[in-house]
Amino acid sequence: MITSLAWKNVWRNKTRSLTVIAAVTVGVFAGVFAMAAINSSIVQRIDAAVNEELAHIQVNNKEFRSSSDIQNLIQDPATVISTLENTPGVTDITGRVIVRGIASTSAGSTGVEITGIDIQKEREMFTLSERLIPVTGSYFGSDTKLNSAFVGEKLAKELYIIRYILTSEAFQTLESKGVPAEVIEKLKPLEGERFTTEKKLTDVFTGLLSVKEIKDYGMNIKEAAWSYREGSRIILSFLDVNGHQTGAAFRICGIFRTNNDLFEAVSLFVPQDELRSMTGLEEGQYHRFIARLEEDDLTNKVTPVVREELPELEVMSWKEIQTDLAMVTDYINQIYAIFMVIILAALAFGIVNTMLMSVLERTRELGMLSAIGMNRRRVFMMIMLESVFLSIVGGFAGMAVSAVVIAITSRTGINLIKYAEGMEAFGYSANLYPTIGADFFIMLTVMIVITGILSAIYPARKALQLNPVEALRGE
Amino acid sequence: MKVVEINDVSKTYHDTEVEVKAVNGVTLNFEKGDFAVIVGPSGSGKTTLLNLIGGLDQPTGGEIIVAGHRLSELRPSELIDFRMEHVGFVFQSYNLIPVLTAAENVGFIMNLQKWPKEKRLARTNEMLESVGLSDRHNSRPSQLSGGQQQRVAVARALAPRPEFILADEPTANLDSKSAESLLDIMEKLNREERMTFIFSTHDVRVMKRARRVITLEDGIVVSDERTNHTA
Repeated sequence: MITSLAWKNVWRNKTRSLTVIAAVTVGVFAGVFAMAAINSSIVQRIDAAVNEELAHIQVNNKEFRSSSDIQNLIQDPATVISTLENTPGVTDITGRVIVRGIASTSAGSTGVEITGIDIQKEREMFTLSERLIPVTGSYFGSDTKLNSAFVGEKLAKELYIIRYILTSEAFQTLESKGVPAEVIEKLKPLEGERFTTEKKLTDVFTGLLSVKEIKDYGMNIKEAAWSYREGSRIILSFLDVNGHQTGAAFRICGIFRTNNDLFEAVSLFVPQDELRSMTGLEEGQYHRFIARLEEDDLTNKVTPVVREELPELEVMSWKEIQTDLAMVTDYINQIYAIFMVIILAALAFGIVNTMLMSVLERTRELGMLSAIGMNRRRVFMMIMLESVFLSIVGGFAGMAVSAVVIAITSRTGINLIKYAEGMEAFGYSANLYPTIGADFFIMLTVMIVITGILSAIYPARKALQLNPVEALRGE
Repeated sequence: MKVVEINDVSKTYHDTEVEVKAVNGVTLNFEKGDFAVIVGPSGSGKTTLLNLIGGLDQPTGGEIIVAGHRLSELRPSELIDFRMEHVGFVFQSYNLIPVLTAAENVGFIMNLQKWPKEKRLARTNEMLESVGLSDRHNSRPSQLSGGQQQRVAVARALAPRPEFILADEPTANLDSKSAESLLDIMEKLNREERMTFIFSTHDVRVMKRARRVITLEDGIVVSDERTNHTA
């Protein structure tokens, strides 16, 4: 009965209640959607880190990561393999041979980490092969004549393997993408000119186009001018097992593009056998083993188990390797918790205000209820339920709107291309696909109910302080 | 059978620096089935005395015993339960719950008392019929006239079968016809249910119907007369 009465009381002043409910709805939606967007960014980053860069667990010689000496091999690979294979939760393992060296072309050179991989196994374990930019070739195709290398786009740019040329094909592409003829005409003087970096191209065409044209078609122009000569070669130089300088020409079989510029700038993958033959490393010798787990949540559980089994080696989870990512994840979660508390606190003040008005307007009625025998506990419950109903209706509406918007944007994505450079420099995608777990909605529901209860305390205390004789007398 | 015993009851207010004796040494008894009115000029202490009898206020002297309960010995929470169990209130301004229907208002106290649903609904129907509103079950107070609202208030007060009904100026806001109609109903319920009614009023129409008229002046009972009126 108290529940039913409280519900009816909520709708006594529809305008006022709907205003508060609307405020709660908007507040909850803002909080949930912001969380979903932030969450998606982190989830995508973790997904990329685990599926493209690090795997869940890495096992190295304890000296390898700090010294990067080719001699710092894993001493007993068979034990590592059997340990990982027998650890519950581990689904895949593979070994890597890694040397550090210099990659160079006639136009430039840069330091790189050359990773010799088991191509077939890595294709099964990772999604990096799917990050291939299609026009650049393949992920270690079978027709490779020379030593082949799979490199990141950022590295390719630094070595000037990727250039920007507005060819006649590029102009056709622009035309097909709906770029107006007058814009194409303005760009015609640049036909055939080569730009070694994206910035150089941009600097030139911004002088030819209006601000609006740059805004509308700048990205199309850069994409159309992006140019790569298939089969480009690079020279890799490194030390062999005897400490002698060695190296070879490698043909770029494909270029990959991720959201992590740092990873792209230094990573270069070659077939393990080729690297072994050049460095003198023997079959069965490895610098690193990497393992994938059934699910990411097992990382914190499985890593210590492996570490205990392999005390002579360095066993690290992706969180320990990319401490910045783990830190950002924790940091953002904390920021979000504070953000949500602030939103709910602001809403609580609105609810307190509304409930207080409602109580003060009903002084005589509350006095009457006390007179006819409605005890303090019931009065408190009634006021509290009214407050909780206001919060819950607004909260559920906010969550429903959030769920719909998240469902839509998780398919369409949110394009933050304006901030792409900054975000991708830190490994975060500029395309967000908001996502949020059901557990978050459950937690939020609890928080909203708590907000409703806390918001009711002051108005309910006011109601309980009413003296029935005075309340009945006054109006 | 005594329903209410009032022994030398006083109520003094200490407003600012002036001491006001609203009720001063009142001794009265009310019997089962009384149809009594307390009359007197404004400020004579009628409402204060009613509040004291109903356990809404505590006396500063003397004692009130209702259905064996010494009200001065009850804690505030026990007083609320006491009111729910033993007293029916009818207020001057009806004081119905605006978001509930007539039937829900009538059933409200029985609901607080946790009557079984079927019994509660049957009693609600019975009471609405008694006050002539059996066709207004689902009407909200705002859809009823003043007289109809006061009849719902009477039905609400009587439904749980309290020891007695305290009615503070129940006809003050009603026109003549509605007031007469309401008094007819209360007389009928007094007769049929042997319900004790204690009114405070200025209204001569109520006084004419009463079988006992108690006159207060300056908080003192100056007369307590039985009349020849029969319900």
